[in-house]
Amino acid sequence: MATHAPSPRSALAELLDEQTRLTLDDLARACCMEPGWVTERLEAGLLHGEHAEGRWQFSATTVVRARRLARLESTFDADPQLAGLTTDLIEEVTALRQRLRQLEALLGR
Amino acid sequence: MEFKDYYQILGVERDATAADIKKAYRKLARRYHPDVSKETDAAARMAEVNEANTVLSDPEKRAAYDALGRAAPHQAGQDFRPPPHWDAGFEFTGAPGGGQGMDGAEFSDFFEQLFGQAARARRPGGASAQSGGAQRGRDHHARIELDLRDAYHGAERMLTLHGARLDDGGRLVNEERQLQVSIPKGVREGQLIRLGGQGGPGLGGAPAGDLFLEVQFKPDTRWRAEDRDVYQSVTLAPWEAELGGPVEVETPGGSTVEVTVPARWKPGRKLRLKGRGIPAATPGDLYLELHVALPPAATDAQREAYRVLAQAFPHFQPRTTQGA
Repeated sequence: MATHAPSPRSALAELLDEQTRLTLDDLARACCMEPGWVTERLEAGLLHGEHAEGRWQFSATTVVRARRLARLESTFDADPQLAGLTTDLIEEVTALRQRLRQLEALLGR
Repeated sequence: MEFKDYYQILGVERDATAADIKKAYRKLARRYHPDVSKETDAAARMAEVNEANTVLSDPEKRAAYDALGRAAPHQAGQDFRPPPHWDAGFEFTGAPGGGQGMDGAEFSDFFEQLFGQAARARRPGGASAQSGGAQRGRDHHARIELDLRDAYHGAERMLTLHGARLDDGGRLVNEERQLQVSIPKGVREGQLIRLGGQGGPGLGGAPAGDLFLEVQFKPDTRWRAEDRDVYQSVTLAPWEAELGGPVEVETPGGSTVEVTVPARWKPGRKLRLKGRGIPAATPGDLYLELHVALPPAATDAQREAYRVLAQAFPHFQPRTTQGA
């Protein structure tokens, strides 16, 4: 087994923004799940997407939430709604922590 | 390659039941969950725990791993090479890199050598026969921490990626490579950056997967971003706050702008600089959150100035406005 340390290569970074649309298969693949897993979470209201002309489309930021849901479900054999509740709380805590850091900075702590 | 003692990682005995393993795994998964844990090495420990669980929770992989331990007893951390044909008679099914919802990207060389792509490629028929033909490489996911200023100007970052690839003989080769990434301006918190072809290698001539980076901004006491809008705190002297007038502010974009603070201080006041948030086709706005700082009175003259101020406001009641 050898360790290679080639000279740095450059990679083109592509920002995935609101204009970037992912398909159902893209989202399922990002979560290492089957497309049916995604559609069930859409029907349950745990994930959101746009449905037009018989096809689902997703914004790129849906990937982060969907991967979190998938990981919670598979790690804890969690009920999807429970994984959704936990994901909502994680997102809320992240936003509150950010706000807290700002307020603490203002108060000089 | 270091030998991994999966039983030790999960803290279970070698004769642990499937239920014991599941229980131990979940307990550790909760402790090291990357979104919750405050331990500094949580991500690395979580990856280790996931890997141990992937092997020990799968009867086929666990049987092969146990047989390996009997054939060549090793202590955790010892240098290890699997004996030839150690896995003869064992066949692994299911996802090579863990169960559903799990990424194989984070698994160790030890795992890869025993159960990953290298192992599949070594078996009769090789990788392509196992997978039913060419197979696109896996997508990898990671987080990247940027400065909010990077969103205004773009940034160059050197990433060090650890991975593995198969050589022509189907042997696993460790690979540490550095990647220079140009991050365009306009990036936002929570946004994904895709680096095409920088994920796991493909099999049978299929293309490599992509590498996705989730953007997080480094905490900064000066400013914070909410989507495309940026909030910056600006501290005023009492006379600037009450009398108003022009003040100079250094923005996260790097420029210095002069803004006019309106007279008559009001707590919670914000000034909006339209279009000075994170750049985009429709850029965000920059909000200046105004705060007042009292100058400390260090000299007799400064203490006297506060006394004069007090005399000028004999009817000021600072505590009447407090409370609900």
